[in-house]
Amino acid sequence: MLIVVITVPFIAFDVLPVIGDPESAPNTHVSDYYIEHAIDECNSPNMVTAVIVDYRAFDTMFETTVMFLAGIAVVLILANRPRKRIPSAGSYKRSMTVAGRAIYNTVNKDVMISAIEPVILVYAIYVLFHGEVSLGGGFQAGALIGMTYLLDTMAVRREKPLFRLNKFQSGAIAGLGPFIYAVTGIVSIIGGGLYLEYNKLPLDIHQAELHSIGITAVEVGVTIGVAGTIITILNALIERISFDDDND
Amino acid sequence: MMQNLPVLIIVTPLCSALLCLLLTLINKHFGRAVVVIATAASLVMSVIQLKSVIEDGVIHYAIGNYAPPFGIELVIDSLNALIIVVIALIGFMTVLFAENFGDKRPVVKGGANAILALLITGLLGMTSTGDMFNLYVFLEITSLSAYCLIALGGSKGVVSAYRYMLVGTVAATFYLLGIGILYSATGTLNMGDLATILNEGGFDEVMLVSMSFLIVAFGIKMALFPFHGWQPSAYTHAEPGTRPLITGVMGKIPALAMFRFFFCIYGTDFIYVRYLLVLLGIFSVLGMLYGSIMAMAQNDIRKMLAYSSVAQIGYISLGFAIGTPVALAGSFLHMMGHAFMKGGLFFCTGAIRYKFGTTDLNEFGRIYKKMPITSGLLVIASLSMIGIPPTAGFFSKWYLALGAAGRHEWIYIAVLVISSLLNAVYFFRLIEKVFIQSSKGLKDRWSKGELELPLTIILPVVVCFLAILGIGVFNVKLFDILMLTLEGVGL
Repeated sequence: MLIVVITVPFIAFDVLPVIGDPESAPNTHVSDYYIEHAIDECNSPNMVTAVIVDYRAFDTMFETTVMFLAGIAVVLILANRPRKRIPSAGSYKRSMTVAGRAIYNTVNKDVMISAIEPVILVYAIYVLFHGEVSLGGGFQAGALIGMTYLLDTMAVRREKPLFRLNKFQSGAIAGLGPFIYAVTGIVSIIGGGLYLEYNKLPLDIHQAELHSIGITAVEVGVTIGVAGTIITILNALIERISFDDDND
Repeated sequence: MMQNLPVLIIVTPLCSALLCLLLTLINKHFGRAVVVIATAASLVMSVIQLKSVIEDGVIHYAIGNYAPPFGIELVIDSLNALIIVVIALIGFMTVLFAENFGDKRPVVKGGANAILALLITGLLGMTSTGDMFNLYVFLEITSLSAYCLIALGGSKGVVSAYRYMLVGTVAATFYLLGIGILYSATGTLNMGDLATILNEGGFDEVMLVSMSFLIVAFGIKMALFPFHGWQPSAYTHAEPGTRPLITGVMGKIPALAMFRFFFCIYGTDFIYVRYLLVLLGIFSVLGMLYGSIMAMAQNDIRKMLAYSSVAQIGYISLGFAIGTPVALAGSFLHMMGHAFMKGGLFFCTGAIRYKFGTTDLNEFGRIYKKMPITSGLLVIASLSMIGIPPTAGFFSKWYLALGAAGRHEWIYIAVLVISSLLNAVYFFRLIEKVFIQSSKGLKDRWSKGELELPLTIILPVVVCFLAILGIGVFNVKLFDILMLTLEGVGL
């Protein structure tokens, strides 16, 4: 019954255009403008970047905020009431010494992952600052940084970790990212323009360069936001050792 | 600076929300202070914006200075300028009020404040935006923060939030389907541009299919009658401090968005508009009766008020179903009035809970002796719900009835009267409990100081009291302001 109700309108009314039709309305109305003007107006060789963080930057700002919101929601709801006796992450790892040892005398994961981590981070930075030229940038770079932290926490045994955050600290950092984004817009207001109008940023350089700087600042914000959120969710889940469905 | 007001109103609470957790880690008072200051600033700016809209007409604000169909645009007319003031005011008071409730750990409280500020941001954004997809983004922020605030209200809250999340996700998906179909047919996301293209004709089927999706989507979000299943438990078990904002404002903003799609984008030349309006009318009439009857059966005041909200949302959509400018103005007056009534009643519930720790109607015997100010608001809000003349509720119902009479919709008037009488039954029951029933000897949990309650609870209560009377007394002034936009819109 339900299926009939849902499918009949789609069959009865032919409302959607053919996939890939170059004459369809979405491909003719605003797309032409983006194709013709993106490079001149935004100084971004990549049109997708131009649309995401320049023409429709306001949407992206709130999408990044959604990440932050999801992160602190996980902290507040899932990890809000920890069980009484929680083994700390460190003691949990000490009990795993046998499991973590390199048994076959081949690759030692502790050493190898420690060696790979800086490379991943360098790649993340490359993706971030190359982002305004190639696709996206911010989200991927943030995911890479977050995943490095995740790999380091979960796979490597360290007596003294170099750098650890608790769930609230990482949540605060996740909020800092979208804040950088929002402040970029406010700075352009101070420079006499409208919100997120990059060529009114108060710097004394060429307009095209200003767009690059604006896009990069925004991407840095997205990166920090995404990385912070991934770390927050990881922390929240680690602290919630006892799940309802594993009672062994 | 003046020209940037529309965006600053949204961005100020956003920035405070993003910084709240960080500042709370530094000092436990900083985070909340920043949220309070930001919402207050937003309130002041929204009042200035309302003034400038009334004097100079509609504001179009192009973000990033890209011309509308290519960039995102905020459109502020006299209608949403008024609603923005209401949101900012209730939001500010809720932030003050929420200090007294919830988890005692400062960091958790900081996180809850951040989410509350994000809810305010989302509501302000949904009201201001002139772009379909941007509306979706704000809808997402509003819904997510609402799920979280409802889930913070204890273990029952988690279950109701989960239910709301399942249903709300369907609503968000349906909204995306609706605008996706519109986008595929027209190629634009800007509401003004969309209206121009659709009015060239030839889009009737597309408009009908997408409108069916949009009615369901907004119906779920505003808890219109057949889609209201999530609402009573969610309103009942939400975090007590933030309940006034969730119950008072959150249901109204999707209604405003529905109005935009029905009357501003589709327009009345759309050939199926009359059928859809009749459908909406049936939903509202059934909702008004069902909500009132269910409310009479409840013993918990929170649940009673939640069911009453189902009925009151029916009044708002009834105004849309009638569709004349006068009836629409009645709808929006009711939207504002009801925000203060229902928000105010939940401020009262919170206050009673704070002082006596109960929400059971049968235990309210003669609490007016200990809580005169709160009881005052309870009475005035109840009278306004019923529709007694000097209050807001009377005038909104009056304009609704005028509009219905103008289109000879006698059934609507009859239901309006019946529903008001049913309201009278259960609200007089509430008044009876507060003033006449013998005292149950509730234990006073808070007896410091001269006032009956802390200042942060008294202030919202007093403001709601004044607002309900103010909307009633100055209804002609508000009607004129609404008519600046509504003139020429509708049937």
